[in-house]
Amino acid sequence: MTARRLPSGGVIDRTQPLTFRFDGRVMCGLKGDTIASALLANGVRIVGRSFKYHRPRGVWGSWVDDPNAIMTIRLGDRELPNVPAATTLLENGMEIRAVNAWPSAKHDVKGGLDLLHRWLGAGFYYKMFMSPDWHLFEPSIRKMAGLGPVNTAVYDDPSDQVNAACDVLVVGGGPAGLLAARLAAERGEDVWLVEDHATLGGTSAQVTAIDGQDPEAWVTAQEAAILAAGGRILRQTTAYGIYDHQMVGLLEKFDFAAAPRRWRLRAGRIVLASGALDRPITFANNDLPGVMSLQGAADFAARYGVLVDRKVVVAARGAPAEHAIALIEQAGARLTRVAPDAPLKAFGYKGAQGIAIGGLRRFADTVLVSGGLTPLVHLWRHAGGKLDWCARRQAFLPGAMPIQMQAIGAANGTYSLHDALEEARAAGTNTPVTRVDTAEEMTPLWPKPNSKGRQWVDFQHDVTLKDVSLAAQENYVSVEHLKRYTTLGMAADQGKTANMAGLAAMAAIQDRPIPEVGTTTFRPPFVPIPIESFHGHYSKQLWHPLKRLPLETAHRALDAALCEYGGWLRPGWYGNGAAQTHIQAEAKQARETVAIFDGSSLGKIAVMGPDAAAFVNFVYYNTITTLQPGRIRYGFMLTEGGIVKDDGVIARLGPEHFLISCSSSHTDSVRLHLEAWRQDGNDPDRIFIHDETQAWATVTVTGPKARGVVETLGLPLDLGREAFPHMSLQTTSWKGQPMRLARVSFTGDLSFEMSVPARHAEALWTSLHDATKAAGGGLLGIEAMSILRAEKGYIMIGKDTDGETMPHDLGFTVPRNKKTAAFIGDRSLHSPVANAADRKQLVGLAVGGDDVIPTGAHVVLTGTRQSQGYVTSSYFSPSLGKPIALAIVAGGTNKMGQDMETWHKDARTSVTICPPCVFDPEGERLNA
Amino acid sequence: MQRFPCPFCGPRPETEFHFMGEAGKIRPKTTQAISDAEWATYLHSQRNEKGTVREVWMHLTCGEMFIMIRDSVTMEVLGTETLRKDAS
Amino acid sequence: MRDDRNRWPAPIARRDPMTVGAAQLQEVALTRQTLVSGPSVRTTEAPLIGWPDLVLTDRYALCLRRDQVLVVNGQEDSPGWDATAQRAVSDVTDGYRVFDLTGPSAHDVLQRGAEIELLPRSPSVARQLYGLGCFLYRVGRPDHFRLHVSSAHADAMCGHLLAAMKATSEVLSL
Repeated sequence: MTARRLPSGGVIDRTQPLTFRFDGRVMCGLKGDTIASALLANGVRIVGRSFKYHRPRGVWGSWVDDPNAIMTIRLGDRELPNVPAATTLLENGMEIRAVNAWPSAKHDVKGGLDLLHRWLGAGFYYKMFMSPDWHLFEPSIRKMAGLGPVNTAVYDDPSDQVNAACDVLVVGGGPAGLLAARLAAERGEDVWLVEDHATLGGTSAQVTAIDGQDPEAWVTAQEAAILAAGGRILRQTTAYGIYDHQMVGLLEKFDFAAAPRRWRLRAGRIVLASGALDRPITFANNDLPGVMSLQGAADFAARYGVLVDRKVVVAARGAPAEHAIALIEQAGARLTRVAPDAPLKAFGYKGAQGIAIGGLRRFADTVLVSGGLTPLVHLWRHAGGKLDWCARRQAFLPGAMPIQMQAIGAANGTYSLHDALEEARAAGTNTPVTRVDTAEEMTPLWPKPNSKGRQWVDFQHDVTLKDVSLAAQENYVSVEHLKRYTTLGMAADQGKTANMAGLAAMAAIQDRPIPEVGTTTFRPPFVPIPIESFHGHYSKQLWHPLKRLPLETAHRALDAALCEYGGWLRPGWYGNGAAQTHIQAEAKQARETVAIFDGSSLGKIAVMGPDAAAFVNFVYYNTITTLQPGRIRYGFMLTEGGIVKDDGVIARLGPEHFLISCSSSHTDSVRLHLEAWRQDGNDPDRIFIHDETQAWATVTVTGPKARGVVETLGLPLDLGREAFPHMSLQTTSWKGQPMRLARVSFTGDLSFEMSVPARHAEALWTSLHDATKAAGGGLLGIEAMSILRAEKGYIMIGKDTDGETMPHDLGFTVPRNKKTAAFIGDRSLHSPVANAADRKQLVGLAVGGDDVIPTGAHVVLTGTRQSQGYVTSSYFSPSLGKPIALAIVAGGTNKMGQDMETWHKDARTSVTICPPCVFDPEGERLNA
Repeated sequence: MQRFPCPFCGPRPETEFHFMGEAGKIRPKTTQAISDAEWATYLHSQRNEKGTVREVWMHLTCGEMFIMIRDSVTMEVLGTETLRKDAS
Repeated sequence: MRDDRNRWPAPIARRDPMTVGAAQLQEVALTRQTLVSGPSVRTTEAPLIGWPDLVLTDRYALCLRRDQVLVVNGQEDSPGWDATAQRAVSDVTDGYRVFDLTGPSAHDVLQRGAEIELLPRSPSVARQLYGLGCFLYRVGRPDHFRLHVSSAHADAMCGHLLAAMKATSEVLSL
């Protein structure tokens, strides 16, 4: 190969040389080069290896259509794998290595795999490694597969993500796109023009005049006019996908390894001027390095001043090909032409040395091929546009479009510059684009199944014409099946070169017309997009931010271990070191003396209005209408399926004012549930729902000495057992601030729950903590609290219940049998399933031995492994000095006293079914 | 990213909305006798149509429940109807 | 349970003004925030602020829903249902933290959190920004945005805003 740099022309800057290394060799490029153009200019022929057979690969195309040149690149302290060489600008000092090749692309030790090709056809791995077990082979096969190794270093500069809107988006900064953008901008529309190259102009470098002007001057004039009219131009920016409702994804690239910016642009209308790609011709050994795209070679010459070779053989068809041939000849190449539909066979070792037609050999190191152009209709299909088959052009062209989008120029199948500019004038002025149908008739040039030799359809994934035939033979005839069976079009270029040949081959094999075979689905992204551009700065703690307590600072000062509970960051326990020691000590202390607990995250949802009472009565399983103001009731909310959705207490603050205290993790879903029922079947003008959860902070004092601790606050009310009984609520004030004081308990001990406006939380916490310490008590985290509630058989919805649990499974049967008013889920509680005898019901387990049973262990009949249910909560109870457990067990209520076993990973523990509450079953402490 | 029209707020991104169910389901009067089959139909039967669909959605930020008429194939929004009898 | 105390940095109780590039973020102390609902609150509470209205008074009512407003810096109001006035009232002063985002880049910062355009108008100031619920409106000047965010997510919202302010300032420096 004797590629050389032309003395003039192109976008490269000949005064700015860049040095880089490829597979260890030092090379020189120019500013403006892509890595691919620089490699060609340095005479590099083998730029990588194919995925499956490790066949040597050369550069095929000059832009997004190149499937072969994929690199791992290091620059400074940054390294990225799988960088496409044809679309990445060269930078000084780059260390470039071909992926999938070791030690180098030229001398790859796995190159020998190709000798086994006869046995490695499509579906080989599926068929070969089925027996005895795929998993035995998978690790070593995985090791063989894949491209560049992933760099595990983390670069901490997040990708920028911006939402924006415009009137007109023009995709493609070639002549048609530039003119359309200019005309639209001059009409006063807000225009964005995106071009994925670093420079505007597209194919303008390949022509001698545009609109009678010098191409370079014409491009500059369009750019200036667009900007002057208020338009916006983004270079190195790819429109990679069109999503619902005119949303376009744009990726704006910067220097190598700098985080790209992702735009989510809502475009009023879209003009697609994305151009067309060259098609390979399918012949024997058409994958040899040195066989490349004719249009690609023209682009390398015009844009980068690189002539691929002085002596070339050309096999091409169509008017655009004639144009490219003329350009390459002018650049100084000597051309030999061969008929593109003759039985061609490239020959050479590790690279083309010529092409043979029958016995006739034409020698040349480079073979340029063009099987016609394929319009880039990817975005058209993303947007739901139809494709029409054009026999004249032998291509799929944009057809009907459901959204505001027009295609112009080569993307529309209009390859002549003059006609393309006509279409641009129409699109720019927002008038219908009429395709100018002067294109010459293209004689079909498609793969010929059953012809001789190994003929490549997908260069990177090593899918040959034989593989397509094999797929057809095995009845994978739909293009979607063909793709998945052979991996055709699943390489990094996503079939930009392979798909048309593949589906045409399938059409030929089945003797069906190409449009009937159809295309596979075009899905975004159009080019590979770094994952980081999708997460942007939404990572680490900002990925899924937890809710934070007003008292977090106070908890931290007390060495709280902060853990995630249902979307909140809450104190699990207090202290450093062994967690269980602290948890057991907290639980013991709370039972023996007194402890304080932060309950601020518990939901506080106010329901107000004239229909409030009837509404909460409908929403709750329990009857609420009989609840007196100042009193509190425990109850369940159900789904319409009768499943327990949430539990908690509801307080009646006034005749038309209720306060629902739901689980911390369910507050948002309960609010949604209430709001939905308020507007569906109720009069929303008579019910109002306010979520006050975060306006109030709640501190709970629990334990035998709780009353004494609360008395230290000097509240103006009687805290005595008769004046302020269990399950009642009073509104009072503390230090001039409103306070809601409730006697409810989640521990089974005397408890007071105090809520104040959140800004006073620290003052309340400090006062109560001081008083608690003085009373010999301390702090209570959620882990210890969970032990206390389990001792009492108090459930946590979602932990001690599952997606089948109904209230009567938990022992709450009265409303099901007695409540006459309608309530959510009522009818479901009387279905055959609800009445089944083997429903899983909540029970306690008296545990044999001193070991805590793992939560989740199955409850089985002694000696069997047939699950009857499972352990939902399991702890060591410091107050009882033994393990305790809750479980849901089939027919559990009728199994009281029955000996069973738990089974977990072959370990069995003897248990006896008992009531869920194992501590103070009479509730004397609760009502103290 | 789709854009849905809240009858109160106007066009907003789809992430602000929550699908509540197919429109037209009336809760049976549970204070009267209802067959298991009738109740099961209410709970579980979905039309799941292809093409024009009528659905109940909630705009989460303003809490408005409304009916949206969409095309389930093209994702085109064809219109909305308020569920409030006196919407103003 | 996993002890995550070191995974999550301590929350910042009160934020000092932060300037990054051409945008400034500052926490605002409001006297009172009162949630008021009722069939006709949008006519009884004034001035009613929607998007992209500019607040020009000390006391104002943010329109949140068809039947709900957030009265800012209003009189103390007794909580519960007022049958005569047909109003449901909750004091939520501590339920939302309030931040002012100002400067020439303020709008660019917001555009990193959602599709925020000045048009079309919206009666409600309630929306999502960076995936978090908030009330967003303007105060006095076109480049002075104010947002209320639920207290539990205030730190997260500040994290998002500061990340976007940093990204925006890097655009300016290009």
